Amino acid sequence: MIEKIRLDNISFAYDGTGNGKIKNISFSVSPGGCVVLTGRSGCGKTTVTRMINGLIPEFFSGELTGSVFVDGENLADKQLYEIAKKIGSVFQNPKTQFFNTDTDGEIAFGMENNGVPRQELIKRVKKTADNLNITNLLNRSIFSLSGGEKQKIAFASVYAMNPEVYLLDEPSSNLDTDAICDLREYIQILKSQGKTIIIAEHRLYYLKDLADEIYYMDAGEIKHRWTQEAFLNLSVHERKQLGLRSLNQEEPKINDKSLRNDNADIEIKDFSIGYGKKDVLTDINFKANKGDIIAVTGHNGVGKSTLLRTLCGLQKALRGNIFWNGEVQNQKMLLKRTYMVMQDVNYQLFADSVEQETCFGIKNPDYKKVEQVLKELDLYELKEKHPNTLSAGQKQRLAVAVSMLCDKDILVFDEPTSGLDLESMRMVSELMYKLAKMGKIIFLVTHDFELVSLACTRIFPLG
Amino acid sequence: MMGVRFDPRTKLLLLLLCVICTMFAPSLRYELVLVCLIAVFSLLSGQFGHAFMGTLFYGMIYAGTLLSVTKMTGTTQAIFAAFLGLVNKVYPCGFMAGLMIKTTKTGEFMAAFYKIHIPNRIVIPFAVMLRYLPVVKEDWHYIKDAMRMRDISPSIKNICLRPIMVAECLYVPLMMAASNTADELSIAAVTRGIENPNPRTSLAQIKFLLRDLIAVFAFSIYLVIGLIGMV
Amino acid sequence: MGNQTRTNKKGLSIKDLVTIGIFTALLFVTMLVGGIVFAPNPVLTFYMPLGAALLGGPVMMLLIAKVPKSGAIAIAGILCGVIWFATGMHWAMDLGYIVGGIIGDLIAGIGKYKNKFLNMLAFICLSLGATGTYICYFANRNTWSNYMLNGGTSKSYIDAMNTAAKNWMLAVILIGTVVVAGMSAWIGSILLKKQFEKAGITA
Repeated sequence: MIEKIRLDNISFAYDGTGNGKIKNISFSVSPGGCVVLTGRSGCGKTTVTRMINGLIPEFFSGELTGSVFVDGENLADKQLYEIAKKIGSVFQNPKTQFFNTDTDGEIAFGMENNGVPRQELIKRVKKTADNLNITNLLNRSIFSLSGGEKQKIAFASVYAMNPEVYLLDEPSSNLDTDAICDLREYIQILKSQGKTIIIAEHRLYYLKDLADEIYYMDAGEIKHRWTQEAFLNLSVHERKQLGLRSLNQEEPKINDKSLRNDNADIEIKDFSIGYGKKDVLTDINFKANKGDIIAVTGHNGVGKSTLLRTLCGLQKALRGNIFWNGEVQNQKMLLKRTYMVMQDVNYQLFADSVEQETCFGIKNPDYKKVEQVLKELDLYELKEKHPNTLSAGQKQRLAVAVSMLCDKDILVFDEPTSGLDLESMRMVSELMYKLAKMGKIIFLVTHDFELVSLACTRIFPLG
Repeated sequence: MMGVRFDPRTKLLLLLLCVICTMFAPSLRYELVLVCLIAVFSLLSGQFGHAFMGTLFYGMIYAGTLLSVTKMTGTTQAIFAAFLGLVNKVYPCGFMAGLMIKTTKTGEFMAAFYKIHIPNRIVIPFAVMLRYLPVVKEDWHYIKDAMRMRDISPSIKNICLRPIMVAECLYVPLMMAASNTADELSIAAVTRGIENPNPRTSLAQIKFLLRDLIAVFAFSIYLVIGLIGMV
Repeated sequence: MGNQTRTNKKGLSIKDLVTIGIFTALLFVTMLVGGIVFAPNPVLTFYMPLGAALLGGPVMMLLIAKVPKSGAIAIAGILCGVIWFATGMHWAMDLGYIVGGIIGDLIAGIGKYKNKFLNMLAFICLSLGATGTYICYFANRNTWSNYMLNGGTSKSYIDAMNTAAKNWMLAVILIGTVVVAGMSAWIGSILLKKQFEKAGITA
C-alpha cells in the first residue's frame, strides 16, 4: 500500500459554534511520512487531527461529509479504542492528559487498556523509558514533575502502545526551549523507526528539518502545500504575511537601554527570595524606570515564578528591599501596585461578562473609564460576552484591562504567548508597548525569544 | 522503602474489619489493643513514622478519654464523653485508612477494584477523583493569588454583604478548570483505548499471598475476641 | 456517514464518568473544608453535617447540569461514601452518603434532571447522608459510650449523657442540614444561570 492515511474530501462544522470548521480537506500521507499542519489559531488544523484519531464524530458532534482511511480501511466503521491501537495522540496541555498519579502507571495506562500481559507491560515500560531517556522520571509522582516532564510522560504513554501513526496536536504549546528540544529528539526517534507522523503546530522552528511536507491552512482550507525544501525557501516577508512564526530560535538581540537616568523608579536591592528558610535566589540587584519592558529569563526551576510572586507581594522576601521612588515597599503596598497576568489566565477571571469583569469587586466603578479601556484593548464589542467564551489572547487583554482600571504601576506577564500564533504574539507585544508608554513598568517571563526580541527593552537574566 | 507489600484487597478487608471491631468494641482497652495491632501492621508495611505518630496520638486521646471519664463531672463530662466517644469510634479506622492510602497507588486500587468485579462506572470516576484531589489544592493556590491581587477576600464581611460575589470567586475559576479538565482528560483517555471492552491488565501486581492471609486472620481473630467480649 | 454521535446515546459515556470523578473530587473537598471547622470541636462536632453541606451545592448543581443522566448523582454519592470510608470515617456516614446519593438520583430523575427544585432536593438528600453517624448515636445513646467505662456503666454517667445530648439536637442537626444544603444548592442554581450556562460549559 502506498498511502498510510488518506483524507477524502472532508468537511466538518462543530455543532453550536462556527469555530474551527474545515472544508474540502483532502490529502494523503505515505508510510513513514511526516506532515506538519500549520496556520493561524482557529484555522482548523486541530479539527483535522481530530478527524484522524476518530474524536470526530465520536466525541465531537457536528456536520460531517467525506471519509478518512487508514491502511485503506474507513475509520467510520471503527470504534475509538480500535483506532487508538493504530493511532497515538499527544495533546497540548500536559496538566490534563494523565490518568494516574504515578509515572509508571501512566506509561502503562494505554497498554493496560489494550490488555497487554503484565510481563510484557513491565518490559515495555522499561524499554520506553530507556528509548526516551526518561529513566530518571520512573517511579515518581506525576505532581512532582514540571510541565515539560509531564509532556514527556504523556508522550511515553503513547510510545509504549507502539502505534503506527503519531498525531501531535500543538505539542510544544506549553513547553520551554529545552523541552521543545527534547520533543524534537522524540520526533526524530519516531522518524528513524519509520512511523507516520502528523503534527498540528504553529511553532515551526523545531520542525523545519523534520517535516517532509508542510500544509498551510486558512479558514478551514489547505491553501498551500510545500515540500520541506520549498518551505525553507520562503522569504521572511512571505512567511510573515502568512502569519507564521520564525524558523530560527536565536538568542534575542536587544540593545540594552539601561537606566535612562540615575533616579530609578523601582529598585530591587540585595534581594533574596525563597520559601520558608530555603533560599531560591540571593543577592538580586536591579533598577528600572517607568516605560521599561523587562524580559526575565532563565532555565526552568531557577526561581522565576518565586521572583514574580515576591515582586507582586504575594509572598515575603527573605532579605532585602524593593524601593518605589525611593520608598521602601512592604508586601501590602506591592500588592496594591502590581498586577500579574497569570500563565493560566482563567484563574483570575471571575465575573459573568467582560464588562462586569473589569469592575468586579470595585465599589463604585467609573463606567466611562471602563468603556475607554475596553475600547483601547479592542474588547468593547465583546463586553456582554462571558469571559470563558473568549479566545486566549482576548482573555489576556481582559486581565490587562482589569489592571488598568485598578491603576497598577507594575505589570507582570507570566508566559503570555504560550500557545499563541504570530498574530496574537504581535498583539501582545503591541499591548506591552502601549502600557509602557502610559508609564507602566512591565516584567515579562517568557521562553519565547521571538517575543523578547520584538517587545523588550531590557533583559534581566536569572541564575 | 523497606517493608512487605500487601494486596490492596487485604488492606480494604482489614479496614472493613477495623470498622466492625470499633462498632462492637466492648471496652476502651480493646480499642487500644486494636490501635497497637494496626501499628504492627504499619511497621510490617515499612511505615515506621506512620506507626509511631499514630500510636503516640492515640495514646494522648486514650489518656484524655480516661481523664474525662474519671475526673470530669456533669455537662463537661458528657460533652467530652460524647466527643471522645466519636473520636474513639473513628480513630482506628482513620489510622488504618491513612496507611492504606500511603501505600497504595492509583493503579493498584484500580486493579483491585477490577478483580473484585466493581463495574467501570465506579472504578473510572474513583480513579479520576483520586487523581484530581491534588489538583484542587493546586488550583485553589492560584485562585487565592488572583483574589489577593484584586483585593477581594472571602472575609466574613464580604460573605454577608456580597455573598454572590464571594461565591463567584470561590467557584467560577475552580469549576471552569474542572470542566476543562473533564473534557481534555476524557479525550486523553479515549484516545488511549479506555473504552476497550476486553479485560484490562495491570502493571500493579495483585496477588493474595500467605502474608495477606495471616494479616486478615489476625484481625479476624481479634474481632471474634471482641465479639465474645474477652478483653 | 451521518452526523449523529455515539456520545449522545443513552447511558454514561467515558466523558460523563470522568466528569463525575472530577466533580466528586470537588464535592469531597467542599465537605472536607466545611466539616473540618466542626469535627474536632467537642461542642460543635454534632453539627458537622451542616458544615459539610455548606459549600457543595454549586458543585452538585453544575454536575447535574453537565451530566443530566440517570446514575450521576448516585455514583457521586457512592464515591463520597467510599472515600469517606477509605479515610476511616464512621460507617453510618459512609453508608448515609451512598443511600442519600441513590435516593437523590431517583428524585432528580423524576424531573429528568432538568427540574431545579428536584435537583436541589437531590443535593439535600445527599447531604443528609452525613447525619448517619448522629442518627446512630441518638438511636443508641446509652450504649454508645459505655465501652469507654471498660464495659461498666454508671448511672451518673448516663444521666450526664442524657442531659448533654437532648433529643432536640437531632432535630436541629437534621433540619439544619436540610436548610444549609438547600441554601447552598440555591446559590448553586443562581451561579448556574448567571455564570455556567452563559459560559457554555453545561451539557
